[in-house]
Amino acid sequence: MTQTRREAMALMTAALTGAAFGGCAFAQGAPKRGGILRISAPANPSSLDPATGGAGSDHAFLFTMYDTLTEWDFETLKPKPGLAESWSFTDPATFVLNIRAGITFHDGTPLDAEAVKFNLERNKSDQKSNIKADLASMASAEVTGPMQVTLKLTTPDAALPGILSDRAGMMVSPTALKASSAGNVTRTPVGAGAYSFVSWADGEKIVVKRNEKYWKPNRPYPDGIEFSIIPELTTGARSVTAGQNDLIYQLPPRQKAIIERASSIKVFNGPTLYVFQIFLNWAKPPFDNIRVRQAFNFAIDREAFVKAALAGLAEPAYMNLPKAHWAYDKSVAELYPYDPGKARKLLAEAGFKEGTVIEIGGYTDQDSVQRQEILIEQFRKAGMNVKFVNAPIAEASAAFFGPEKRGSGLLAAWTGRPDPSLTYSLMFTKDAYYNGGRAPVPPELEAAIRESRASEDIEFRRKAFATVQRIVMENAFVAPLAFQFELVAMNKKVQGYRPNLLGKPKYDDVWLES
Amino acid sequence: MARRSPARVIGSRLLQALPVILLATFMVFALLKLVPGDIAVTLAGDNASDTRIAEIKKIYGLDRPFLVQYGAWLGKVAQGDLSQSLLTGEKVATSIGRAFPNTLLIVAIALVLALVTGIPMGVIAAIKPNGLLDKLVSMIASLGVAIPGFWLAMILVAEISLKLNWLPATGAKSFSVSPVEAVRHALLPGIAIAAYGMADVARQLRGSLLEVLSSQYVRTLHAKGLSMSRILWQHGLKNVSVNLFTIISLLVNRMLAATVVIEAVFAIPGLGSLIVRGAIQRDFPIVQGVVFAMVIVVIAVNLIADLLCAAVDPRIES
Repeated sequence: MTQTRREAMALMTAALTGAAFGGCAFAQGAPKRGGILRISAPANPSSLDPATGGAGSDHAFLFTMYDTLTEWDFETLKPKPGLAESWSFTDPATFVLNIRAGITFHDGTPLDAEAVKFNLERNKSDQKSNIKADLASMASAEVTGPMQVTLKLTTPDAALPGILSDRAGMMVSPTALKASSAGNVTRTPVGAGAYSFVSWADGEKIVVKRNEKYWKPNRPYPDGIEFSIIPELTTGARSVTAGQNDLIYQLPPRQKAIIERASSIKVFNGPTLYVFQIFLNWAKPPFDNIRVRQAFNFAIDREAFVKAALAGLAEPAYMNLPKAHWAYDKSVAELYPYDPGKARKLLAEAGFKEGTVIEIGGYTDQDSVQRQEILIEQFRKAGMNVKFVNAPIAEASAAFFGPEKRGSGLLAAWTGRPDPSLTYSLMFTKDAYYNGGRAPVPPELEAAIRESRASEDIEFRRKAFATVQRIVMENAFVAPLAFQFELVAMNKKVQGYRPNLLGKPKYDDVWLES
Repeated sequence: MARRSPARVIGSRLLQALPVILLATFMVFALLKLVPGDIAVTLAGDNASDTRIAEIKKIYGLDRPFLVQYGAWLGKVAQGDLSQSLLTGEKVATSIGRAFPNTLLIVAIALVLALVTGIPMGVIAAIKPNGLLDKLVSMIASLGVAIPGFWLAMILVAEISLKLNWLPATGAKSFSVSPVEAVRHALLPGIAIAAYGMADVARQLRGSLLEVLSSQYVRTLHAKGLSMSRILWQHGLKNVSVNLFTIISLLVNRMLAATVVIEAVFAIPGLGSLIVRGAIQRDFPIVQGVVFAMVIVVIAVNLIADLLCAAVDPRIES
């Protein structure tokens, strides 16, 4: 059975409406407590401490054990209350968080203003913290009430509510941190999330059990979750069809047809912020010429790419945000229709000699190579001779973004950030790591990115992001290709799973039919 | 010639093992440093700046000269500490201790299967060389050598796990907790690795048996009126047992290597998966630890094989 996101949402809405009008309208029956949810996870976490970890794949584990100060709406990623029941900017440089009363960490430590202050200061300044930059705008955190923390900011930062829904907002028990000799809880996580930590065997298994004192009513439903770490996704998918696991996430599109053959399996998919794109180095030829960058973007047939390379399970990308996102701007999406003729014209204007080799970095896995083959053909039609030089992910990234500056571009992906201003400032400011050439950008772009953080008003921000996106795409600093859908397969006993736009799974409402 | 005591053989072997361990771990360490990619980038996280990466290198001591880093690792090993994963902080000895039994069980099952099938096949083939049975055996053996283990593994999973649902498709269970479940999980990977072993045992045994059976003393035994089966089982096999032990020791080493691929197919958290994860993430303490453990296993297997050979063949010991 396949459900698109929209169908799933329609079903859910219907079910909820039904529930409001007299109880059990769920076709599957009311949510039940109990059972162990067995999940096939694609990667060993880099750390179970939110501040010291680094991999985007960690969140799938972290979200079960750590609650965040703010949360996001599954469909649009708008921030909503979490551990903080409310927040406000009393002035543009003062951010006040009101913490929910009565919550404790798994070890019994109260989650109060002191604990929040402790965490934010640690995230901002601990030597091993990888999320210092997330809190760059925070000058200080003060306890202004037993349940109130006030952040003084160096610059207005409306991105904070979004940022606090990610690593920076994951609250760790101060007691556990102080007790640890190394000053981190990498292997002994203690949070305030729906599940508490039981064990972690590297590369093998992570076990968590229900937090009986969890603050959200009736959650979580399962008694616990067992993550089996299976890096080989084909094997992971097999573990679900064979019944050793209940659910697998982050499946590549080509697995969909295979896994759907198993009658016991249902598949969910929905758009995410995960975008395949070609990073460009605009510090050196040929991409130091804006016309060549624009031609590159006109040469890509994104619709065809989605069909051929991603089995249709993706949304063509014309900027760094998908349609469902609150800051999406339709007019920017119309900048680069597929137009090989126009691409050739721009190349001619730029004095680009047809057939000149453009070297782009890439990855060596089967899916990546397939994507490259499709792109090579599309570029060839526009008179560009693109050559991919492949290496494993870590090497390819280091070679392109690091000091070596190999190649003119890198076919890779960008995983979304809870607030779009992060996405833009991490790629399109002069000294950003993901600006491979570290070349300057127009001053109005940096100003527009700052502007997007200046007010919390969503309409204001939407306009600010429209400007940011327009400048980025008019300058063609990147060639976005497609937003990958989240593809999650599970057996029929798993109920209540909802995909989210961030593409990092949360199991808030999941329950198991016995 | 004076007969050397087994204790002295073992002692001198262990001494010889030291340079092997040093050389192997040093080479692997050097290779890991030579290949591009840097664990500091992984450690620094998603949005790291160049300065942050430099800072991380300093914190983890990755900015020290290559030889100093190797020396530091070696110094710890000399004190019995395999150090810990740079990424997750788990003790390497803990990881190996957990992974090793899973790998060992697969290799043990594979070895038993290879011998149980390979020895009779070799004997049958040797009784009537170029006969119908011999040709059948040599065909099966050729298939066993030619079929890649990972392919056989996937076919086995598709048919036996997914279609018939007889055995689990993935994972491993602890032998000490549930021996039956552990064997059930290890059986398919064991079979996948055993195919090559079976073929190898059958072919090698056939060759050595033919040589023995065509020798003069066997002719004498025939002349004495001994039955074919007594010649085979009492005299023939005893004389090829030296070859057999050598085959087995080579086979164990080869099977250990094969687990790297097979464990990926079956999602078995064994030594193979461990070293792959360590290598991909450039988490060198893990890679070093596994190489260290593997070298010791290989040396131990070879030593045992040598001792056994010496026990059955008095000519070998000097």
